Amino acid sequence: MKPLVIDSEAQIGVGETWGSPPRWLDYNVETLLGRSAEAGIDRSCVMAPRNPLYDLPNKQVAKVCEKYSGRLIGFAVHNPQLESGHLRQLLLAEVKSLGLKGVRSDGHPSRELLDAAAELNIPVIYYPDLEEYPGPARAYYMIATAYPSVNFILPHLGAYRSWQWWAHYEAIDLVKRFPNVYVGTSSVISRKYLEMAARELPPERILFGSFAPELDPRVEIFSLKLLKLPKPSEALVLGGNIQRLLGQ
Amino acid sequence: MLHGFVPNFGEAENLLDLKEARTVSRKIESSRRAFLTNTGALLTSEVVNRWASGRQESVGQTAPRKQGKPRVIDCHAHAGISREPGAKEEHSAPWDTAADPEIILEHAREAGIDKTIIFPINNTTYKEANEEISQICQRYPERFAGFARHDARTECGKIRSMLIHEIHDLGLRGLKLHTQPNTEILDAAKELGIPILYDSNQHVELFEEFLSSYPTINFIIPHMGSDQSENWREHLLAIDLAKRYPNVHLDTAAVVLTEYLEKAIKELPAEQILFASDEPEIDCRLEIFKIRVLNLPKEKEELILGGNITRLLGGRV
Repeated sequence: MKPLVIDSEAQIGVGETWGSPPRWLDYNVETLLGRSAEAGIDRSCVMAPRNPLYDLPNKQVAKVCEKYSGRLIGFAVHNPQLESGHLRQLLLAEVKSLGLKGVRSDGHPSRELLDAAAELNIPVIYYPDLEEYPGPARAYYMIATAYPSVNFILPHLGAYRSWQWWAHYEAIDLVKRFPNVYVGTSSVISRKYLEMAARELPPERILFGSFAPELDPRVEIFSLKLLKLPKPSEALVLGGNIQRLLGQ
Repeated sequence: MLHGFVPNFGEAENLLDLKEARTVSRKIESSRRAFLTNTGALLTSEVVNRWASGRQESVGQTAPRKQGKPRVIDCHAHAGISREPGAKEEHSAPWDTAADPEIILEHAREAGIDKTIIFPINNTTYKEANEEISQICQRYPERFAGFARHDARTECGKIRSMLIHEIHDLGLRGLKLHTQPNTEILDAAKELGIPILYDSNQHVELFEEFLSSYPTINFIIPHMGSDQSENWREHLLAIDLAKRYPNVHLDTAAVVLTEYLEKAIKELPAEQILFASDEPEIDCRLEIFKIRVLNLPKEKEELILGGNITRLLGGRV
């Protein structure tokens, strides 16, 4: 049986881009599904783009995922600072009632968010703001140590668009040091760091992510194919790992 | 930190339209096609193989043309070493320390790229670095062509004579800049009939200062105005500039937000878009895939992948 290709990070709905300078966009689900199908992606983990608050965007994501249940897996997004005090309650409802499978933290994850993630046994996607942290190491060391049972996914191999090259080194170091840290592969335009990660890290710790539709999933998956990984390793990176993290 | 929301895409385009309405030159617009069919470069010099080793071919030799098959040319890559690795901020990144041409060759072979245009990485002055580029081109005359690089701040007053030597004697074909060109540089490029590839470091508006005064120089804006798509607004400004000036060309190196690449290809004549990678830091195998995945009409793709840079260099590449 052909292993499933699962995109661990895509977006749908209305909101602001994560990248700076921000743009206000509507990430159309049909565009995502069309390009993902062309790229050979079977399923995509989708979440809302940046919003001030996430109660409504998460509900909308859950609704779209219900409509395309064979193709989409929903993640919640929360801002631990702006939504402080309500996070556990919101996340419990989103996971248990709406069927969302993980959470992206918009801002440094608080104890409240991480306690809820540990309780629900869901992975946490967190990309530290590199204007605040010069690399992901400082942002990750404490949370990865304090929450060993939470699986963290650090997107973009630590540096969106490879802009801070040293952040790629830090991301690889974090994965070596902490068994609960995983890296996503989208937007790594300095491919030598992707090659370095593939060479130095166990394939179980690398997750294919496209960041579609802001980025083109056809391009992102081609970048991984260029790694020419052994078939079993490629199957893990392209889908097996995120399936395992989601308990599927 | 949550950033303030910005006008949507459509509004941003309208702002550009207003800007365009103020500055567009109808005369230039009407002659766009005629200009694009002409070649800009008029290199007539003999190349002196001063630095070549015994086994190397002369700089002037070009690859034998494969009959019927258009050549694929990457117009943006770096090679050579920094003379001061790590000494200053601009010499401390991996791409400012060393750029190995062997990596480019390996990637280019796999990507189906016939020839790559190389220029130096960051240095304070460029005499030695340009000589190094010439030597690499001599070593692989079928695979590399070279552009000189200069810095208007550190080499002011010497650039014209250096450039004449580099073009006429070292066999380099164009000029790469990272600092705003002064009249010395622009006049020399005009005199030599060479294109200028100028990275204005996320300030596309700086081109406005000289474009109308030098309509015969072919300019190439690398990264479609924004390296690694750091600022998408610069992509829009670069597309707008290319609409208004037929001698402005956009190179496609390291455009991460590929929707702007698609926008440029949709809105501009194919003659103004040049395939580029920024090897060896950026992988040409992935960069060329970004063009090929668009399934463009054959003629359009051939222009972008090599026809246009060949034309800008007068066929001498």
